[in-house]
Amino acid sequence: MPWNDNAGPGPWGSPPPNDGKKDADRPRNEEPRGGGPRGSGDPPPPLDVNALLDRLSDRMRQTFGGPGRGRAIAASAFGLVALWAISGCYVVQPKEQAVVTTFGAYSRTAQPGLRYHVPWPVEHAELVPFTSIQTLDIGGSVSQPVSDERLMLTGDENIVDLSFTVQWKVSDAPKYAFNVRDPDTVIKDVAESAMREVIGRTALTPILTTGRGQVQDQTEALMQRILDRYDVGVSIQSVNIQAATTPAPVLEAYRDVQRAAQNAESAANNARGEAAQIKQAALGYREQVVREAAGDADRFNQVYAQYKLAPAVTRERLYIETMQRVLEKSNKVIIDNKGASAPVILPPDAFRPKSATTATVSEGAAR
Amino acid sequence: MNRVPAPVVATGVGALFLLILANFTLFQVNQRQQALIVRIGDPVRTVTTPGLHVKSPFDTVIRFDKRNIEMINAQPEEVTAADQERLVVDAFVRYRITDPRQFYRTLGQESVATDRLDRIVNAALREEIGRSTSEEVIAGKRAQVMAAIRDRVAKQVAASNLGVQIIDVRIKRADLPPTNEQAVFERMQTARKQEAAELRAIGEQKRREIVATAYEEAEKIRGDADAQRAQLFAESFGRDPGFAAFYRSMSAYEKALGQGDTTLVLSPDSAFFKYFDKGPAG
Repeated sequence: MPWNDNAGPGPWGSPPPNDGKKDADRPRNEEPRGGGPRGSGDPPPPLDVNALLDRLSDRMRQTFGGPGRGRAIAASAFGLVALWAISGCYVVQPKEQAVVTTFGAYSRTAQPGLRYHVPWPVEHAELVPFTSIQTLDIGGSVSQPVSDERLMLTGDENIVDLSFTVQWKVSDAPKYAFNVRDPDTVIKDVAESAMREVIGRTALTPILTTGRGQVQDQTEALMQRILDRYDVGVSIQSVNIQAATTPAPVLEAYRDVQRAAQNAESAANNARGEAAQIKQAALGYREQVVREAAGDADRFNQVYAQYKLAPAVTRERLYIETMQRVLEKSNKVIIDNKGASAPVILPPDAFRPKSATTATVSEGAAR
Repeated sequence: MNRVPAPVVATGVGALFLLILANFTLFQVNQRQQALIVRIGDPVRTVTTPGLHVKSPFDTVIRFDKRNIEMINAQPEEVTAADQERLVVDAFVRYRITDPRQFYRTLGQESVATDRLDRIVNAALREEIGRSTSEEVIAGKRAQVMAAIRDRVAKQVAASNLGVQIIDVRIKRADLPPTNEQAVFERMQTARKQEAAELRAIGEQKRREIVATAYEEAEKIRGDADAQRAQLFAESFGRDPGFAAFYRSMSAYEKALGQGDTTLVLSPDSAFFKYFDKGPAG
């Protein structure tokens, strides 16, 4: 065959395209999408374009005019075949798998690495993200909420404002690639539907407080069940409620409830303080009253003991001493009205407190 | 020689002829597709296995999706539930073309199928939701309602012989219309207001309870104090009531009158002045 003895230079004057299959750095004509970074070998030597053109025209002349024509055609044919053959090389990245079809029919799944398939039109490789976890936000982010995805009816006919994230990954590449049209839309729709179903049978308060984990787990399980039925080849890693609050119009009312609870608590605290005060005051009163009474009684007892020894004298003495102490400090007006026929009229000064009336008015007053 | 060698030419021409022939007689059906072979307007056979297939040059190949396809309601439907509450329901249908020939005959293309399914689903939604209360649709029996809708749609689709199989029908959202939503917000607000008022009332009640309890205890303590005092006085003063009265009066005078702010108008006849007028003889 003419191309078997093709030992000479290749048809393009460059080094012959020998055994392209081993040469990973050769450009791949039909690289599948998502192909990794090209191997960056040494930079190519600077091209002498003129020399190259000269050589090329030389070759052309040889090919189509010279006597070695047949050989040259064979060489070009071989080159084309070789190019076609190496176009089947492709790279599967570590986080991917490739599903290979032969004449459109699924034939095998290729693992990460440098792979080869029979080139077009026989086989085709399609890359599927496999081990990487995909994230799907429903209800939007904090900065960009999607309001009509967020409001959901709860089991007790309230409305909750909820956003959540679903993490999933492809668990079966061929199923993911071939079984369902537009698998990403399926996941989103199923996520929304499942979450709303679960929220629909849960009361509002647990969603806002302690029941979140349960809602997440139930949604995750429900999603997985539905997706398995659709045979999407996807596994749900987690469902995470990002934010669950009451909708904006009722938020203030909810805050008021919290305030009321705080108020009630602080009212009780204040009352406890007041109560302690009242009780302490009473205890103080008791202490005071009892001790004073005891004191008074004791004093009386002692005085009484003396009195018993000499009743008349003690009595007299007590009286006079007491009167002395009383009169000592008071203003005194002594009126002897035995001989008076008219009422005695006292000047108002006589009734002033003692300090202001040092000068006692009545002629009968003794200091 | 200025000519290409004959074998080469022959090979080239042969290859070209083969390619043209292949183009007319071979066709691919990929993993996601199924195909219907139509011979001059007559659907002769269906091909459901993917791969390379042979046909006669006069056959045309119409390809259909073999996958699980989604159909979403064009518009969320406002449906009345059994309790007369209105709900805005948004559902999606998943279906599969199972019989391309039948599908081609009855529907022709997917847009027609979507249209047809949309109508069937809407009717089923109305029918099934109309049988349940809104509470059941939203909360209690959503799964059952969905299953009933799915069965109804599946039955109808099967009966219409469309070449389509229903995989699932799911309610995506079942919400209240905006006006009712507002009513829910109001109800939520009033419920919260009630709750807040209740909490505040409980707080007030607690406050009173605590203070009153303290008052009760305090009064008991005071009573106890007074009782003890009375007992102490009774014990000591009771020994000689006459002297006790005198003694007590004395201390009372002292306390009541001995503050210096009293003006006493006295008569020299009083006992204190016994010697005042009369001198030591008394």
